[in-house]
Amino acid sequence: MSSLLLRVAAAVYVAAAAGFVFYFARPKHPRVASLAQAALAAGFAVHAGAIGFGCAEFGGLEFFTLRGGAIFFAWLLAAGFLLFQRFYRMPSVGAFVVPLIVMLLIPTLFGALNLPSEIPPVVKSRWLPVHVSASFAGLACFALAAGVAAMYLLQEREVKGKRFGALFSRLPPLESLDRLNHRLVRIGFVLFTVALVTGVIFSHHAWGRAWEWDQKQVFSLAAWLLYGALIQLRRSGWHGRRNAILTLVGFAIVFVSFVGVGQVSGSRHGGSYK
Amino acid sequence: MSARELHLVGLSHKSAPIEVREKVALSGDALRDALAELKGCPDVGEAFVISTCNRVEVYVYGDSACRAEEFFTKRSPAAAGHLYAKRGHEAVRHLFRVAASLDSLVVGEQQILGQVKEAYGVASAAGAAGSYVSRLCNKAFATAKRVRTETDIGRGMTSASQVAVDLVAKIFGDLKGRMVLLVGAGKMGALSAKALEVLGADRIVVTNRSAQRGQDLATEVGGVFRPWEELETLLSEAAVAIVSTGAPTYVITKELVKRTLKARRHRSLALIDLAVPRNVDPACSDLEDVYAYDIDDLDKVVAATHEARRGEAQRAETIVEAEAIAFAKEREARAALPVMIALRRKAAAVAAAEVARTLARTGGRLDERGRESVEAMAQAIVNKLLHLPTARLKQAASDGDSALPGVVAELFGIQDEPQAQGDRSGTGAARAAASEK
Repeated sequence: MSSLLLRVAAAVYVAAAAGFVFYFARPKHPRVASLAQAALAAGFAVHAGAIGFGCAEFGGLEFFTLRGGAIFFAWLLAAGFLLFQRFYRMPSVGAFVVPLIVMLLIPTLFGALNLPSEIPPVVKSRWLPVHVSASFAGLACFALAAGVAAMYLLQEREVKGKRFGALFSRLPPLESLDRLNHRLVRIGFVLFTVALVTGVIFSHHAWGRAWEWDQKQVFSLAAWLLYGALIQLRRSGWHGRRNAILTLVGFAIVFVSFVGVGQVSGSRHGGSYK
Repeated sequence: MSARELHLVGLSHKSAPIEVREKVALSGDALRDALAELKGCPDVGEAFVISTCNRVEVYVYGDSACRAEEFFTKRSPAAAGHLYAKRGHEAVRHLFRVAASLDSLVVGEQQILGQVKEAYGVASAAGAAGSYVSRLCNKAFATAKRVRTETDIGRGMTSASQVAVDLVAKIFGDLKGRMVLLVGAGKMGALSAKALEVLGADRIVVTNRSAQRGQDLATEVGGVFRPWEELETLLSEAAVAIVSTGAPTYVITKELVKRTLKARRHRSLALIDLAVPRNVDPACSDLEDVYAYDIDDLDKVVAATHEARRGEAQRAETIVEAEAIAFAKEREARAALPVMIALRRKAAAVAAAEVARTLARTGGRLDERGRESVEAMAQAIVNKLLHLPTARLKQAASDGDSALPGVVAELFGIQDEPQAQGDRSGTGAARAAASEK
């Protein structure tokens, strides 16, 4: 059931992504943007259903696999973007974010479910869902911020290079992107902090060791420090291009830490619970 | 062809200098009086007047263009040499071109459509516009809308200060609470600063070598004046600097901007150089978060817009032509309609009378079914006989053949002939309106 719903959600997301990209290319048709927005909301609802059914069917442990993580992350990204649209109404951002959701979701439609063979009792803790949710939500914010930062750099190139073409007229103003980026980074940072703290608490409860220096922890800590520094720099007036570049660097680090590292090594984050 | 048709007499930026245009332009009560006067003439059915600073055009739906011409010659004898006159299809197309902004000084500008709408509204309120003008104008608005959505004629920027505003908008979004610095007291700078008001610029600071002129300009643009010596400090605070001094060299050098960067902390700075020769070193662009533009950059965008609009205008002309033809066809179809209706009504009356006569004679001997059969037969004969003429009339209407309805009316002796050649007196407008319905 959850796989079927997921396929439906993916199909609806594809339609939404097409709508947003079309709107970006032809901004004369704002109706397309509202249709895409509606499609995104519908896809989000179906997606939520898929996750709900998935939890009922597999006990929620799918999130410990790369596939489940991607599903959850895509959902949070959609939630984040919907929320963002509610406050900012910048449908042009959709052309950058919604295809990302599709890209995350499409690979999960193939291949069998990859559940951990046995569910170790240590994993059953109150802290774990908080840790996982906060991590993903933080990652979603950083992903959005990275998308916005990419838009900033694109627009900056147009403005500086005196290229007043299609991109120039369709991308939002630099300062708006800059402010938005910063807000997303701040929210992401808070969520990421929660993820780190609960992770430490959980680790302490489950294995008696708060910190293990596994690769994911190292990368996450590095990203956390970087984002923290970014916020601090911002407070002292740091703006613009460098800010955007650092946001992208930060996202590269968290992304590697989420997708890459855990899979390669046999650490606890990768699904080995010993 | 109907004697009544659309006549246009007018002058525009293309045919007359401003001195002549301003003599004949009118608005408000004067315009209403002029419309009432036009409407009062016996050979004028309906009328409306478009009067803007770039054109004055009198449209008359009636028998001749004399009144429209009088409108101008009465107001200014000098106007006579600058007038153009069009009639029928040409006049319709001209109106559509005007509404679609193809005849504007700046092709594609959006104001003109509103002005035409207003002209129609005023004429309508004054009772000068009837059903013909109403349909004509609505078609003109629809055409303008089609041109706007189907071509890119309205895209792009047409003046340097508009480009400057757009640039600043793409950097800052809005200028609320940000400082706009005017360096030098040039006229262009003041204009651009004014233009930036649409972005909510509320802090304008003027600096100038001559304190007196600077102060004057500050008052003019609603800002404050600061002495020239503070330029560096001001630069480190400003979001936008508009530079137009008379200096022959770079007033704002890369080194000067570089010194302000630390205080700016990567806040963006837009340097807009309107001076010739240039006052801002273009190398300032190399600095991070500094965006420098000179007048050539702005003019290039304007030139590109004009170039693009010329291409789009070609496509727009096709739309206008198609819509003008469609309008004519709709009219012809409407002209054929009353003849068709009258013909059918007449035939139905004849049939009904004959049925009544027959039934009165034989009524007693026929049962209910018999009477129904007689009625049905009469109806069927009428329908069969009129089928082909009706189809031909419809065909003639859509082909634009306006002669046939008259012939049909003549042939069948239809009294209520809507295109009566002698319809030149009395309540012309009411008749014309009726014939259009």
